[in-house]
Amino acid sequence: MTESAGSTALRIPRGDLLRSRVVSDVGTTLSRALDRELTGYATLVPQETLLLEGDARGVVTFADGVPVLAYNTVSDSGGPDALAELAVPGPYRVELYAVADGALETAHEEETLRVAPGAAATELADDPALADRTREAAPDERLDDGDDDGDAVAAFLEDDERIEAIREQARSEAEERAAEWGLDDALAGDDEVEADAEFT
Amino acid sequence: MVEAFAVASGKGGTGKTTSTLALGMALAEEHDVTVVDADTGMANLLFHAGLDDATVTLHDLLVAETATTVSEATYDRFGLSVVPCGTSLAGFEAAEPERLRDVVAELARDTDVLLLDSPAALGSKSAVLPVVLADRIVVVVEPTIPALSDGLKVQEYARSYGTGTAGVLFNKVRDDAADVTEQAERRFGGPVLATVPESDAVRGARRAGKPLLAHAPESDPAARYRRAAARLDVRDGDEGAVADRFRSAVVPDTP
Repeated sequence: MTESAGSTALRIPRGDLLRSRVVSDVGTTLSRALDRELTGYATLVPQETLLLEGDARGVVTFADGVPVLAYNTVSDSGGPDALAELAVPGPYRVELYAVADGALETAHEEETLRVAPGAAATELADDPALADRTREAAPDERLDDGDDDGDAVAAFLEDDERIEAIREQARSEAEERAAEWGLDDALAGDDEVEADAEFT
Repeated sequence: MVEAFAVASGKGGTGKTTSTLALGMALAEEHDVTVVDADTGMANLLFHAGLDDATVTLHDLLVAETATTVSEATYDRFGLSVVPCGTSLAGFEAAEPERLRDVVAELARDTDVLLLDSPAALGSKSAVLPVVLADRIVVVVEPTIPALSDGLKVQEYARSYGTGTAGVLFNKVRDDAADVTEQAERRFGGPVLATVPESDAVRGARRAGKPLLAHAPESDPAARYRRAAARLDVRDGDEGAVADRFRSAVVPDTP
């Protein structure tokens, strides 16, 4: 497979497809890659498109089971920014590929696309135990790759559109359920809601 | 005076119960504090507060036509009034969530600060009621995208019901985590009350069945919870008015 958009294009060999399926928890994919010490990559397509503008398609590469690079082929973001864009509630359509030993070495030199070893498990799979296992499996020099997932969290918190989408969805869900649960009368008026939205 | 806080997160495993008891004990240095395990479906506060053998719990108060009084389900522990919840499925199934507002209204008459340890999810009426009934929420999150997404969601639910945000508590923070305090404060529209690290002291307290501030009062996490409590800036509320609000906040459930 070759992705060639933008200056930080990720070029990786297609490799052999190991599995292709829709998973509710991307942790199962990450865990499988870790357990088999996979050198290869996974493509991740979130099926939840509500929070994303258009389709997102992620690629996460692995060296000996440990995630190295993340890339969003739709937005052209890489590294923690790509992880932040891909970190949406599941399910994902996932394809897992193996490539020949050494075939990713050139790609893995692209530092701007790097993510910390445990970051995919934390941000995509919400699985702290898997993140710990991944860090334990990572070579020592990889543990200095950034401050783990903090960059992705910062990128998420900077994403106005994304945060507004979460809020809007929560708001309409709260209102729908209030009706269902007979809590309509407890809902606040607009004035009351606005008054709470300030912090200096 | 009384102010009711819901300690909420939107997801499990963020350390709500540990945080509720730690904030409660810190606030108890200046206020009369009552802590309620409002997570009626997955109660665990009793295990954190050494109340495993409590015979009367919130479940009993949420069942119609029992003669149980609120005081029977209230235990004095660690300088707090604690209302634990039972863990039996039968107790949960018999409970009527709607009755929580009466319990809260009664407790509000006789305390300065009410802390409601809230359920993790927002998928049922009983889960959302603590957030509806509280004056403000304290959002307990790990600094990760899934946790912050859920935290923003619970805050939006709260806001829909006119419940404000007292602040965000970053919990289980790893040593190498980046500082996102400033961005989080802007997004949540409230202060980051504290950044509490992952710690053996917290795990030890849980194993000992004691609140952190009783088990390891000199520990770094304990000090951070104290600072968080100091930043909560408890507001005066008229207890009569608050009790009335609790009583009228929710229309009766239609069967």
